[in-house]
Amino acid sequence: MVIPLALVVIALALALAAWAGASALRDRAVVLRQLWGAAVVEGVIVVEVVVAVALVVGGEQVREAATFWGYVAATLVILPIAAAWAFAERTRWSSVVMVVAAVTVAFLQLRMLQVWGAA
Amino acid sequence: MGGGVTAPGSARGPAATARGPGRVLVAVYAVFALAASARAGVQLLRDFDEAPLAYTLSALAAVVYVVATIGLARGARRLATVAVVVELIGVLVVGAFSLADPAAFPRATVWSGFGQGYGYVPLVLPILGLAWLWRTRARAGA
Repeated sequence: MVIPLALVVIALALALAAWAGASALRDRAVVLRQLWGAAVVEGVIVVEVVVAVALVVGGEQVREAATFWGYVAATLVILPIAAAWAFAERTRWSSVVMVVAAVTVAFLQLRMLQVWGAA
Repeated sequence: MGGGVTAPGSARGPAATARGPGRVLVAVYAVFALAASARAGVQLLRDFDEAPLAYTLSALAAVVYVVATIGLARGARRLATVAVVVELIGVLVVGAFSLADPAAFPRATVWSGFGQGYGYVPLVLPILGLAWLWRTRARAGA
């Protein structure tokens, strides 16, 4: 259940990155609709983390537990910080920050998949 | 706070180094600070004995990224400059040594192979950081 959710997050985060990247190229700041998009991604991440916690509590083994929970913490905070910056920086650079944040989230999710997949 | 220069202009606005493109730089530095700290923490606590040199360097790199992030975000230029220069030297020296003497670096650090494992971002980042510090200084003097 964690793996499909992580794949969904990766797809959504990359879509968000592309959207914000298009804004950056057109010299536009992050718009409210993109923040709603980021909120959706964050929502899926929260569900994913809740599922992961439930599975681990239920006895599921994570191969590299410390690393995994580090990624969990990072993946949770990045988009909210980028969103807060979008309000403070009303230039194209808020869009670039959103691209960096979304790509980072996608990368972290990929790493989470790698350390979760116990086997 | 050493070198804690406040932003010119309004008291409310961000420091010159943290505005516009600087915000992107601070964001990337923050990601590296977070990643390097977390990684170094795990390495030091769990398997320090496997590669003491590499993991000590990991911890050093983490500290440098944290300091650079804070310096850039708060507009503490001297602090940021020192951190970024240390970072540049670190990535060049560790990069060169890790290629010349791989045995000394049995485990990867952020700076191994000039930051190869991180898409060479660790190599490019300090150069961008110095360029940005230089550019904002020129503006501040105008």
